[in-house]
Amino acid sequence: MNTYHLLISTPDGNVYDGEAVSLSVRGVEGDLAVLAGHIPFVTSIQPCICRVVTADGSERLGRAEGGLLTVSADRVTLLASSFRWES
Amino acid sequence: MGADTKALRARIRSVDSTLHLTKAMGLVASSKIRRATEAMLHSRDYAGALERLAEVLSSCPECQRSPYMRDEHKDGEKLRLIVVAGDRGLAGGYNANVFRLMTTLPAAESVIAIGKRACERYGGDPVSSEKFSASDAYELAQRLCREFAEGAYDRLGIVSTRYRSMLSQEAFYRELLPLKQGSQKNASVLFEPDELTVLNAAVPEYISGLIAASVRESFASEVAARRAAMDSAGKNAEAMIEDLRLHYNRARQGAITQEITEIVAGSDS
Repeated sequence: MNTYHLLISTPDGNVYDGEAVSLSVRGVEGDLAVLAGHIPFVTSIQPCICRVVTADGSERLGRAEGGLLTVSADRVTLLASSFRWES
Repeated sequence: MGADTKALRARIRSVDSTLHLTKAMGLVASSKIRRATEAMLHSRDYAGALERLAEVLSSCPECQRSPYMRDEHKDGEKLRLIVVAGDRGLAGGYNANVFRLMTTLPAAESVIAIGKRACERYGGDPVSSEKFSASDAYELAQRLCREFAEGAYDRLGIVSTRYRSMLSQEAFYRELLPLKQGSQKNASVLFEPDELTVLNAAVPEYISGLIAASVRESFASEVAARRAAMDSAGKNAEAMIEDLRLHYNRARQGAITQEITEIVAGSDS
């Protein structure tokens, strides 16, 4: 599986900083998932449950209270005003 | 002589209790330093990422229509200020530097104080700078952005303290709103649904991130300033006690010598 560098950052620190296969969130225009090789992209996200598939294939769920998602060529950054892992 | 030694003993005791106090405050500050600097670095990462994004967004021509961007034709003077100071004193010049910088700025339409010392000076409900959370910052930023977009004020600035090192901190002023036009050209990025909507959604997050980062940085500066101040106060107290002890011993010895002289003189006669 192709992976990319995912950073989930909140004002209280980074909650995830590592390789990931996919990230699913709820954007302003509906649900979206980011896989490796996505075009550079910026959107704001709604409060939602985020699903992260890590490089080893395990799935983690976390609640984000809105924020901004930035996809650039080499990394994906989710800036959330608050983020809590649920699993 | 008796009265002299008594007064000296009382002074030594009082300086000694001050020494205990400064030592305790210094220790409390030291124990908070690590946590405070860690929190500062975390929020700095977050604010830095938001700043880079805001720079990209504010460079887009479409975003010039946003209510948060600087309007060349309507550059109002109504300034609103956020002031971040400490919860307590005894931190050297930390609070005084912030308040001194405030006096050099143009008069503000209203002041939002964070930190109990700032609240005492500028009014408002006491808000602790130590316990100021990211969600408090977010609520404040939401309200400020809404009022800015409605035109309640024209400029938003923040006065806080920049942490340079353990030994050096400086008060500084930064303008948050309106946003200045960026100079980045980033044509290949896709914005969903469009640049303006993303910018308008990003600004409250950006302001909230900057407020939270400033409060964290100010708190780290406060504890570092307090530790340095308590360190030097402790050293001064120790030097003072040493000096007073010398005087006390001299006075005590003087009294004994005088007593012996009197006894010897009495037995001779």
